[in-house]
Amino acid sequence: MIWNESKECMSRDELHNLQSARLKKTVNHVYHNVEFYRKKMQQMGLEPGDINGIEDLHKLPFTTKDDLRDNYPFGLFAVPQSQVVRIHASSGTTGKATVVGYTRRDIEIWQECVTRVLAMAGIGPNDKIQVAYGYGLFTGGLGLHYGAENLGATVVPMSTGNTQRLITMMEDFEVTAIACTPSYLLHIIEVLEEAGKIDRVKLKAAICGAEPWTENMRKEIESKLGLNAYDIYGLSEILGPGVAADCDVHNGLHVYEDHFLPEIVNPDTLEPCKEGETGELVITTLTKEALPLLRYRTKDLTSISYDPCPCGRTMARISKFKGRSDDMLIIRGVNVFPSQVEAALLEMGETSPHYIMIVDRVNNLDVLEVQVEVEERFFSDEIKELEKLNKKISSVLQSTLGLSVKVTLVEPKTIARSEGKAKRVIDKRKLI
Amino acid sequence: MIKQLSIFIQNEVGSVASITAVLKKHNINLRAIATFDTPQFAILRMIVDQPEKAKTLLIESGFAVTMSDAIAVELEDKPGVLHDVLQLIADAGIGINYIYSIVFRQKNVPLIIINTDNLDKTKQILIEKGYSVPDQEDVYL
Repeated sequence: MIWNESKECMSRDELHNLQSARLKKTVNHVYHNVEFYRKKMQQMGLEPGDINGIEDLHKLPFTTKDDLRDNYPFGLFAVPQSQVVRIHASSGTTGKATVVGYTRRDIEIWQECVTRVLAMAGIGPNDKIQVAYGYGLFTGGLGLHYGAENLGATVVPMSTGNTQRLITMMEDFEVTAIACTPSYLLHIIEVLEEAGKIDRVKLKAAICGAEPWTENMRKEIESKLGLNAYDIYGLSEILGPGVAADCDVHNGLHVYEDHFLPEIVNPDTLEPCKEGETGELVITTLTKEALPLLRYRTKDLTSISYDPCPCGRTMARISKFKGRSDDMLIIRGVNVFPSQVEAALLEMGETSPHYIMIVDRVNNLDVLEVQVEVEERFFSDEIKELEKLNKKISSVLQSTLGLSVKVTLVEPKTIARSEGKAKRVIDKRKLI
Repeated sequence: MIKQLSIFIQNEVGSVASITAVLKKHNINLRAIATFDTPQFAILRMIVDQPEKAKTLLIESGFAVTMSDAIAVELEDKPGVLHDVLQLIADAGIGINYIYSIVFRQKNVPLIIINTDNLDKTKQILIEKGYSVPDQEDVYL
């Protein structure tokens, strides 16, 4: 079902006009309310009046995750705190969180976008949906929750961490839809198979996102559970889940262009890519009040198509993601930067800063091992001291990354040194 | 007291051999050797005839090495003697971290290496009870 036909199927001309009007408004909003943007635009000799429509988008400055971090926590907020009704945060690249805020109107738009996604997946008021993303500072849980309630579906707010209870309720409540990361859903499938319950499942749709997944994973999920699986994309800086999602055609994810203006640029030159050419996705928010962002560099690599989609929606489609233009890893849906590990180790000051991260997928769940070199000056003669050190490193990394980590102490100088950029990550995950 | 070297090694095939290779190459003689392992890593402890030189060479070869003190005690070669020593230390309320024995027999008697929570006190108790607690120089004859 198309939740908001007047927007999702509007003509490209009308959409163009709407985007232009909203872009002008957003530029005015940030120029007058966010010092960071005002200064940046002044340095470029740019005034809000110079932006007359989306043709002028290329004149505007880019925004990066570093800009958010440099203005931690609320420096880029464009409204007074009294108008902010919600804060979410994700872990930043060097320990400081990336903090995002929402006005009541922002929350309404967020739930509208998620509702469109769920309706696109065929979910409605007669469905019961288990939201098995983490609830809390992470946008996944609450984002899906509000969208599903707005749709009128019955929400079972599972959060993460108790698969046995999840499958019990799935059967007892006759749950018909689930939202979680694709790797977690594969794990749930295994648990269902072990319990001999896979045939009793009544699921008809799965909304999966927060990490990259392949067409083969989709096929496995769909054939084992007998349902349709949909890809949902989002990032907290822009909104959270619900920036884009795929329809029944499964040929790219529709971007809700009435709220988010997408561009694809070459990550090195920042020049625009041609339609269909792979580059970095850059998004300008068109309706955000609390945290409007101009040309935010997502670092996600994809391509865009404006061809009409057989589903009837006119919104542009981005292809399944082809990787990142930075070194961010997504492990169990959690964003992890190698620099976070390095900063934590240096701050502890009890090991060498030489480490390597090994990511693997065991029983469909991602596992992260961090190997750390034992340095001469920190080496104690006693095994119990080494074990204490091992435990300390794991607990520091766990609290820094928000992810459980297996730490292995290794001999000095065994981690390969390389000239220039050190190789810090071995990703053994084979996306089936 | 005697000097022992402790070396951090990964629990992997060839780890210990990579250390003995360094010693062999530089003609360093082992007096005692013992490993203490966990599933992931191990500490190799040893007593050698040239501890300072061995330490420097091993560090240059990329190992994490520390040098520390341990107590060597001469025992008679008959049942129960080790027990008497251990009971003595336990009665003094001192915890033992580890024990290993020396390869080289001085005066044809076994020599045991002991590391405890309180080395000085351990040494004093043993000497008071008439045990021979040789020092560095004595062991490397």
